[in-house]
Parts: sequence; structure tokens; C-alpha cells
Amino acid sequence: MAVLAASACSKPKATLTPAQFEAMPWDEVVAKVRGSEVAFATWTGDEDRNRYFRSRVASDLQNKFGITLRIVPLGDTADAVNKLLNEKGAGKTAGGSIDMIWINGENFRTAKQGNLLWGPFSGRLPNIRLYDDAVGKRDFGTPIEGLEAPWQKSQFVMAYDSGRTPEPPKSIEALRLWIKSHPGRFTYVAPPDFTGSVFIRHILVHLGGRDPGFWTGFDEKLYQRASAAAIAYLNGIKPYLWRRGETYPSTGKELNRLFVNNEVDFAMSYGPSFASVKIAKGEFPKTARTFVFEEGTIGNYNFLAIPFNAGNAAGALVTINELMSFDQIVEITQALGEQFPLSLDRLSAAQRAAVSALPIPVATLSIAELATHFLPEPDADYLTHFEKDWLEKVLRQ
Amino acid sequence: MRFARPVAVAFTAALALVPFVLLGTWSLARSWFWPALLPQSWSFRAWEYVLAPESGVAAALVTSMGIAMLVTLLSVVSAIPAARTLAYHEFAGKRIFLFVLLLPVLALPLASAMGVHGLFLRFGLTENIMGVVLVHLIPAVPYATLMLTGSFSALDRDLEAQARTLGATPLAVWRYVTLPAIAPGLAVASAFAFLISWSQYLMTLLIGGGRVLTLPLTLVAFQRGGDEAITAALCLIFIAPTLFVFSAVAQFVRYEA
Repeated sequence: MAVLAASACSKPKATLTPAQFEAMPWDEVVAKVRGSEVAFATWTGDEDRNRYFRSRVASDLQNKFGITLRIVPLGDTADAVNKLLNEKGAGKTAGGSIDMIWINGENFRTAKQGNLLWGPFSGRLPNIRLYDDAVGKRDFGTPIEGLEAPWQKSQFVMAYDSGRTPEPPKSIEALRLWIKSHPGRFTYVAPPDFTGSVFIRHILVHLGGRDPGFWTGFDEKLYQRASAAAIAYLNGIKPYLWRRGETYPSTGKELNRLFVNNEVDFAMSYGPSFASVKIAKGEFPKTARTFVFEEGTIGNYNFLAIPFNAGNAAGALVTINELMSFDQIVEITQALGEQFPLSLDRLSAAQRAAVSALPIPVATLSIAELATHFLPEPDADYLTHFEKDWLEKVLRQ
Repeated sequence: MRFARPVAVAFTAALALVPFVLLGTWSLARSWFWPALLPQSWSFRAWEYVLAPESGVAAALVTSMGIAMLVTLLSVVSAIPAARTLAYHEFAGKRIFLFVLLLPVLALPLASAMGVHGLFLRFGLTENIMGVVLVHLIPAVPYATLMLTGSFSALDRDLEAQARTLGATPLAVWRYVTLPAIAPGLAVASAFAFLISWSQYLMTLLIGGGRVLTLPLTLVAFQRGGDEAITAALCLIFIAPTLFVFSAVAQFVRYEA
């Protein structure tokens, strides 16, 4: 058995400790990784995303750095976090099978609390300077402290069919009135699905007046005030929801089906281009469009981290830095219809011109419109409290 | 009355076919909006992706097949002596032994998964094919043993004794008496072991650590990702070998009847 285990890891690994990395010039890190293999654990439920990694990223890493990329497919990032927790418990502190992982929010908090991450490292990556400083500070309110590097950006949008609903309600109050005058034509995804969770978080944050306290740790008084108003709002619209709010779609995917089947008039997603991507695939009608609430919509960055027992931490560092580069970011935003995450102020004039020349699909809002309506994620404790209250005070009412 | 049987057969066949027709249609549908009965537009996108080498589906199919065949062989080989003993001999604690044998089937896999993973980690059995085969054997062996116990119970031991009296070597007894008698049970037990291994997801993910990529891992990722066309195409690829296994086993079962 030992022979089999050893032969499975025949590719050389470039081991590195955070302390060694601290003292090492970047060029030396790059020189260290040639000929090594990097195992990237990532959600693989999207064809375009898989194709981008298996073709473009894999060949760039091979040509530029001599790195072989291996994708470790995940249905859910939490699976990988559980695996790492187990490995920590079993004392497997080196030679782990995952070198880097796509992560954010609650999974990051769990991983950080469990000391499952390698680092700090992100402050020393050359391409970190392309992102706004604030991006690397907090993830759903959890201080990052260099344990993950920012990568992509998402922002909540609502989708509608302009053929069916020429004038969608673009504020929380307008939405409430619209729902009351169109019984049965609206529903939202049930928390704790992340799409449903962020929808009710909008109600909480907006009815709480976007108090700065939402972004500086958990404030019990603020929560009591905001959650009482938000629960009243959600119970007020409940009788007018699809199936009178007795049942809710459990995933964004289910809500998409209700939307395309003309059972409800709105879909919602964390991906600002999701409607454009689905129109291109033929899954949404060509007249589908998106909008953001006038008060703003919540968005977040997602990150790349390195597990504490990564066998090839150096290779992961070089790969993460490459994924954060201007060229890769342009490529991935185009291939996947994602939002552009880099700070325009940090780019060269030529790069800025290239960004403004990027085509924007018809159902996607402009980078400027999304940016001016962007709200960061409130502290993760608001999320867990409100998901629990929603179950008790809205769903079971 | 003359038509009752063919009608019943046709009805059952039609019912069994419905899911396949649906999956086939989904795998080729580009747009399919309510209330249309058929997709508004068609596309080979899903099949092109699934059949392309870079999607890794073909490699996953080969891995799944290899693991499932190895699991089938090992579970049947270890189940035969166990089943024989259980069928022919009374011994102290037999009922407790049967209960322990059934435990992996009774216990929720999710509940035991983490413990098993921790154990495998300590013994260095993770992230390789042998570990995955071993973890698939945990649910496969009890099923195979219980099914073969039934076959051995139905076999009259005196037949073996008679053959021995007439001068047959133990090997000849096995070859000409025991094996033909338990063949149907052996076929069904093999089919079960194969299918149990074929459909494992969580254990493969934990023990294989993402290094052993089987078909269910690919399938579940797309199912959760919400791409209906690719999920449908993968489902059809996933089902194909199981249909083959069932039709092969059907031969034996008919023989038994």
C-alpha cells in the first residue's frame, strides 16, 4: 500500500513554510516550482469554468512556470473544509493532497478558526497591488490576516423578463408594493442556500438603514431593531408570494426554473452576468434583463487559500499570483461573464483602456452601475442570526 | 385475455423507458420553456463537452469501471466462504455476527464517513485507488455475503457429500456441484457489489481526496451546478453500464426460475 501511495505522488513537490516564504525573494519562489504539480480544489459544476481551467490556465501555468495543474473537483467547498478538519485531527500535517482552494465566507471562517490555512501569504504576492486595499482585509466580516488572496468578485442582481415586466420594481419598497399587486408572481430562494440568504440579508440591511454597524462586528441592538423590521416586511409579503409562502424554492436553480416556466416573474443570483450567460446557452429567454436595487446590492469577493498541509505551497503561491494577474482576470471575466474585480486606479492607462473596451453582454449592467451600487457583506454573525430567525419567525409562522 | 400479457409487458416497458426518453431529451435540449412539450431548440453542446477528452469524463468512466470490477471480485471472493459457513454451521454468537455484518448497511454512511476517513488517514490509505476499493468493500461485502447465504441455504449439502462418496475431488465437487447450484446467487451478488461500488459518492470523495476521480464525482458536481443538459448526458453515461450488468444477470435469474 505504501508503494501505491508513494507512486501516486510521483510528481516532485516544492515544500515551503510560511516563515521561509517570508524571507524569500519572489523570483526564488518562482524558480523553486518548475516541474511541480499543483492540486487546485474547486467547485466544478460549470462547463465554461472547467474549460477555462483545463485549457487556458493549465497551458499558461505549464508554459510560464513549468507547473502542472490538477483540478480536484468539489460539489461543495465545505466538503474540502471537512476533509482538512479530519486531516488536522488525524495529524496529517504535511504532504496533503490539496495545494490551493477556492473559498470565502463561512467556509473561510471555519477554516481559519480550525487553523486549517497556510500563511499569512497574500500580502507578499506581487499582484495583490491590483486590488483595492480594503478587499484583502475582511471576508464576510472575518479578518483575513493574509490567509487568503482576493480573486473574483460577485454582486447580487435580480433578473426579470422585459417582455413580461417592462418596469421592474427597483427598490425594496417598490418591490413590496409590486408583490402585493401581483399575488403569486414572486418568491425567493429559501435560506440557508447562499442566494436565498443574501436576498433576506438585503431586507435586513436596507430596513436597518445601512447602519455602519453592520460592517464592524455584531451589534445586538442594531440587529434587534433591523431584524424586527425585516421580519415584519417578509411576513407582510408572505401571503402574496408564490404558493402563499408556504413553500420556497430551495436553490437558485429551482427559482430559475420557476422564472423560465413563467410561474414567477423574477430570478436572482450572485452573478451579475448570470442572465447573459443563460441567454447565450438558451436557458433564459432573449428578453431577460437584470437590475440592482437603488439602495445597493450586496456583493463579495471570493478568495484563494492554501491548506495548512499543502504539499506544494510554493506552487500554489505562484499559481494564485498568476490567477490574479491582469491577463487572467480579463480572460476569466470574458469567458465566464464575471464581474471585473481589479481596481481601475491600480491599472496602467493601456490596461484601463482595454477594460473599458470589453464588450458588455446585453443582460449585464455596466461595471460603473454595479460598482456604484456595491455594498460589502455585513459581518457573518448577522447572517447566522437572521437565517435562524427567518426559520422560526417567517417560515414557521 | 390473450392480449393481457403482451399489453402488460408493453406497459411496463413504456414506463421503464420514460425516464430515458426524458434524460435523452434534456441532454439535447438547448431551450425548453414551459408550456412547450418539446424543447424550442436543440443542441449537441452537452454531448460534445462530455465526450471531449479535456472534460475528463472518459477517464472517470475507466476509473469507476476498474474500481467497481475490483470491488465485485474481492467482495464475492470474501463472501463465498463466509456465506457457506453462515448457511451450514451453527455457532455461538451467530446472531451477533449477523448483526455486525449488517451494521455497515444499517448505519447511515454519513455518520460513519468521518470516522472511517480518520482511520484511513492514520493507515495511509487515502488518496489512492486501493483505499477507495477498500472503503467500497465496507458496504459491498455484507450485501454479497447475505445474498450468497441464501444460495447456500437452498443447496442440499447431501449433494456435495454424494459427489465426494462417488470419488470426486473437492475441486470437482466445487466445479460440478456447488458452483452451478449457487451460480444465480453469485450473479446477483456480483451485480449488487458492482452497483454499490458504482454509485458511491461521499466515500470516494473523502478517501480518494480528489485524486481518484470517479463518474459520480463528475456527475454530482454538474447536478449541483444546475446544468441540466450536461447532467442528463452524464446520467445516461452513468446508467449504461448498470443496464448491461442487469441484463447479464437477468440470464441467470431466468435460469433459476
